[in-house]
Amino acid sequence: MPEAISVQDLTKIYGPDGGGVTAVDHVSFQVEKGEIFGFIGPNGAGKTTTIKTLLGLIFPTSGTVTVLGHPAGDIEVKRRIAYLPESPYFYEHMTGYEVLDFYARLFGMDRDTRNSKIGALLEQVGLAKDGKRVLRQYSKGMLQRIGIAQALINDPDIMFLDEPTSGLDPIAHKDIQDLIRSLKSQGKTVFLSSHQLIDVENVCDRVAIINRGSLVKIGSMDELLHAGTTVITLAHAADDIADRVKPVADKTSVEGEYLKVTVRGQEHIQSVLDMAKGKADLVSVVPQRQSLEDLFVEIVREAGR
Amino acid sequence: MIIWTIAKTTVGDAMRKKVLQIFLVVAIGLIVLSLSFSQTLTFSSREGAAVDLMLVKSFGLGLMAIAGALISLVLCVSLIPQEIERRTIYTILSKPVNRYEFIVGKFLGAVLTLAINIGLMGLVFILVITLKAKGMEMSMASVASGVAQTEAGVQKMMVFDMNMVWGTIMIYLQFLVLSSVVLLFSTFLTPTVNFFMGTAVYIIGIMASMTETMAKSEAGNAVLKWLYTIVHAIIPNFDKFNVTNTLLHPETANVNMGHWTAGVTLYALLYVVAMTTLAVFAFWKKEL
Repeated sequence: MPEAISVQDLTKIYGPDGGGVTAVDHVSFQVEKGEIFGFIGPNGAGKTTTIKTLLGLIFPTSGTVTVLGHPAGDIEVKRRIAYLPESPYFYEHMTGYEVLDFYARLFGMDRDTRNSKIGALLEQVGLAKDGKRVLRQYSKGMLQRIGIAQALINDPDIMFLDEPTSGLDPIAHKDIQDLIRSLKSQGKTVFLSSHQLIDVENVCDRVAIINRGSLVKIGSMDELLHAGTTVITLAHAADDIADRVKPVADKTSVEGEYLKVTVRGQEHIQSVLDMAKGKADLVSVVPQRQSLEDLFVEIVREAGR
Repeated sequence: MIIWTIAKTTVGDAMRKKVLQIFLVVAIGLIVLSLSFSQTLTFSSREGAAVDLMLVKSFGLGLMAIAGALISLVLCVSLIPQEIERRTIYTILSKPVNRYEFIVGKFLGAVLTLAINIGLMGLVFILVITLKAKGMEMSMASVASGVAQTEAGVQKMMVFDMNMVWGTIMIYLQFLVLSSVVLLFSTFLTPTVNFFMGTAVYIIGIMASMTETMAKSEAGNAVLKWLYTIVHAIIPNFDKFNVTNTLLHPETANVNMGHWTAGVTLYALLYVVAMTTLAVFAFWKKEL
């Protein structure tokens, strides 16, 4: 079974005869079906260029890009995907209902299908009462919701979301996070590009970090954010325990009745547990995680930005 | 269905453009105002009335040509760039829409918008000249009874002038051609540059008889002759659509209106198809 998205050695150079600015440089990655895949990077890193290539809006200078096993931009692929651009704009003289009707017609849906889909989608995105208002009267959050609704009109297998929570109030923000989670539960694949790293950390299964056109890190959240250290918390430790664990510990500290031992590596965890056996009560063994924001900042700073 | 959906949306969007509304309202206002020409010109004979009516017809056709040129330029220069700037194109082309369907849909929308605008102007224009001719006919009838002119002489004043319908259609056809040229330009030029390029093409096209003469001239520089030959061959011949004199003085022109209209219509359609096809090719691999 092919991956939902496959990008192989993608390079995109803007400018005449490929002699201009390299926006994406030999990037390769795969996104599995049903996965929520985060795609993050600083401004100008190549995120939007990659998304546009996946949608067939621009063309690779070299490399191959397939979506659902077909070349990007293939009309059959476009029947099964959806795209929500950053700060989407729609024809503002139309009502919410008319906008969705316009997009539904692009899929060749008949009147009954359109009517039932649009009603359900307006309900789903919380605009059931605003469907007859023209878009120029909509707030930014409402426009984002109508953008989500247009993206869901064809019940897509893959959704490309570019900054879907940008500029939204906390309620709308939460609603969109919940929506992304519900898409996952329906088996949809979501390709999420966002600067809201907390969103990415909360909802994504895997993340790719792109910087200056190159993919610098890719992996599951656990792989990326595991800092490699574990904190073992002991209670009622015997007096000599702190001294005994020091050779294998990175750090020890006493906090009230608790002794906290920070170790690196599985064998050192086991050593500390063996030493504490019968001489202290084990409270917890907690692997330490870095936040995605910390990791992102670290990577970008290392790259000299 | 997709082409028609995009065309309908384009019409709805275009008809709400303030600048187009202003052009339309001003043009219609001026056409209506031309009714008052009878107050500024004195006529006391049939000939005077005919001259007066001809002036109104000439003014109306000229005004529609100017308004039509402005409307087609302003409408079509932003047809594609505006969709890119507003990013609506991304949500449309990420749906199962072929690029040719988008281009043809946008152009069909422009064609319909132009038809609505020129149709409205033409309707008001024909109404105005019909009313004016009717008013003059009535005045002439009363004068005729006073000075014993023949009844036949009075009836020669044509109330409904079919030639003015042809004139309106010719204006529409020429701006259809101009719109297709501007559409092609809009796939690779910015709206401002496109506006000036479109205007230049229109002006050169109006002067087609001059470029033809220069191309065929015996004297002169060979390079310039070659240049004029190319320009004359590429730039649409808008002079073909300029039929004001023929329509205003049908008695002096030895033209079969049916054949002539068919020929010009075919020319316009071929040009439009060629330009739209080129626009589709130009847009096919355009980086969005």
